[in-house]
Amino acid sequence: MESGSGEGSMMDDYESLISTTDAELLKRSWRNEKAAPEILQFELSLVQRSTEQIQLMEETVEESMASGVDPLTVSLYQMDLDRTQFLLRSYIRIRLQKIEKYMAHIHKTTELWNRLSKQEQKYAQRCIEDLKEHFEKSVLSKLPDRYKSSLKQSVISEEDDMVPEPQLDTYVICRAKRSLGAFQLDDSAEENPVSLDAGDPYAIRYKSIKSLVYSGQIDLV
Amino acid sequence: MSQYYDIDDIIAEDELVPAVFQVSANGVGLFDSSDETNKVEQGSKVELPFWLARELHLRQAVSINLPHCFNQKTREELAADAAHVDLRNRCPYFYELGRKLFTLVGDKTIGTLLLAAFQTRYREVLIKAQTAALAVAPKFLTLLTKEETKLYEAAQSSMVAFKKWRMGGPRFQKASVLGRKRRPFE
Amino acid sequence: MYAKKACELVKEFSSSEPGQLAPFNTNLFSQVIEECNFHFHQLQSLLSKIQEGPDSQTKNADHFGALIHHLSLVRNKRCLMAYVHNRAEVIRSLGWMIEPPLPEEIQEKLSSSEKEYSKNQSATIKSYQSEMDLDLAVDMVPPKDPYIKVRVLDDIGSVALSDQIANLARHAILFLRRTDAETYISQGLMEELTD
Repeated sequence: MESGSGEGSMMDDYESLISTTDAELLKRSWRNEKAAPEILQFELSLVQRSTEQIQLMEETVEESMASGVDPLTVSLYQMDLDRTQFLLRSYIRIRLQKIEKYMAHIHKTTELWNRLSKQEQKYAQRCIEDLKEHFEKSVLSKLPDRYKSSLKQSVISEEDDMVPEPQLDTYVICRAKRSLGAFQLDDSAEENPVSLDAGDPYAIRYKSIKSLVYSGQIDLV
Repeated sequence: MSQYYDIDDIIAEDELVPAVFQVSANGVGLFDSSDETNKVEQGSKVELPFWLARELHLRQAVSINLPHCFNQKTREELAADAAHVDLRNRCPYFYELGRKLFTLVGDKTIGTLLLAAFQTRYREVLIKAQTAALAVAPKFLTLLTKEETKLYEAAQSSMVAFKKWRMGGPRFQKASVLGRKRRPFE
Repeated sequence: MYAKKACELVKEFSSSEPGQLAPFNTNLFSQVIEECNFHFHQLQSLLSKIQEGPDSQTKNADHFGALIHHLSLVRNKRCLMAYVHNRAEVIRSLGWMIEPPLPEEIQEKLSSSEKEYSKNQSATIKSYQSEMDLDLAVDMVPPKDPYIKVRVLDDIGSVALSDQIANLARHAILFLRRTDAETYISQGLMEELTD
């Protein structure tokens, strides 16, 4: 990892230490997932570690209660536990709801499909089947031949023109952890590169910075 | 089409656009069902919903003109006092339709018109949403397009959320779908 | 004008409050389906006319007639699908908010296929939760305090909560674990009190 830019490196060390705890990582993944229009990579090992952490914390709280530790301390443990549990549940809920929304698109795009956990893939599969059956019964079976597809408007369509996709050119608010220097926002070199300074919030089109989100260089807010 | 299921997109494409048939078409009674001839002659002037006008225009079957809401009079009114023009009455999907027509007919002036109108009106929408007493707001609301109404509501609800956050209050609520009446138990 | 009814169907959905459902409009829905079949019929007869007739005079006009029927059919389909799709989205969001089965007043607004869809969807969520061993129906709001003060709105009776056995009688005011109270509040059986 790059070192901080001289001044205040003590602070930087502290920040980087803090920012690598699982609680902080989970919060970051949760925020990114919340703000990104598309589904991101499932944080498998982080979720596993957090789940174990939660179990451990639950045990600690129970033991402390049983052994008569000061109720204030117990309630602090409890609050910490609650926050972690909320983050984990909310993170998973957001992902499942995104999967519901773009199931067909995710299913047919290998890159996106591979971002799901095993259980999420199963979930997506079932969602697709549920909805397909519902469409068949309500609409498609009643339509004339050649118009019965749930992916194509008619047999004439060359591509799947009924599949909803996330809009990647939507604007997001993001913040870089470190200065990233001049960054070319557009593929067309028409616009001038923008300098992304550490800690400053920017409103940028998601698709221009998504690679920075993948690599963890920038956080969505 | 990523917007295939988008309700507003579908309704926006129902707006009528004046068109002139460049070809004839058999077996269609477009104007009303009592039309005996069941045929559209070349040169017929019709108002077609955008979804149909676009596809026929792309195949050179019709030529299209701009609807009233983009005529000279509206443009002048917008230039004079954009914030108080009743756009909803003229076309509740003014911006959406404008954008679609712009890509279809390539009239560059539409783009500038939309942008200028939106900039002025957006400011007004935000100011009104955060300050207007409830008595004033409904009248102003009737002038807004669908998109602007959504912005207004968003601005207002974030104001409410901000106040709630500052004042505190219950955070857990009954699922809104369950209605106000208390569910009988047992 | 073609596909007018289909758009009415979509407008009806649009005018209901976000997140709420109006009764499934079976009548209008089947009228639109009928229109689809009408367009298909017209389309077929124009197409066979094109194939049979050597007369190139009307061929072009037949072709554009057929095109208009095809486009109208596709438009009708889009409206029907959007109606069902967007309602399905609301049904799914209900599945996240309330424990199945859905209350009677909502059930009666659904078509039979929608009822089944709602059931299947809750089962899908359930099966994911049990696989992950995680309850996703709680913690909908970021937590502040582990305990909150609530008033009981109905006689619920004696219930084993995660940390105590409580007698939840109507009008009782008590401190409960947030996660215990949350489900009751969302069902309208309790309300949160603030000072």
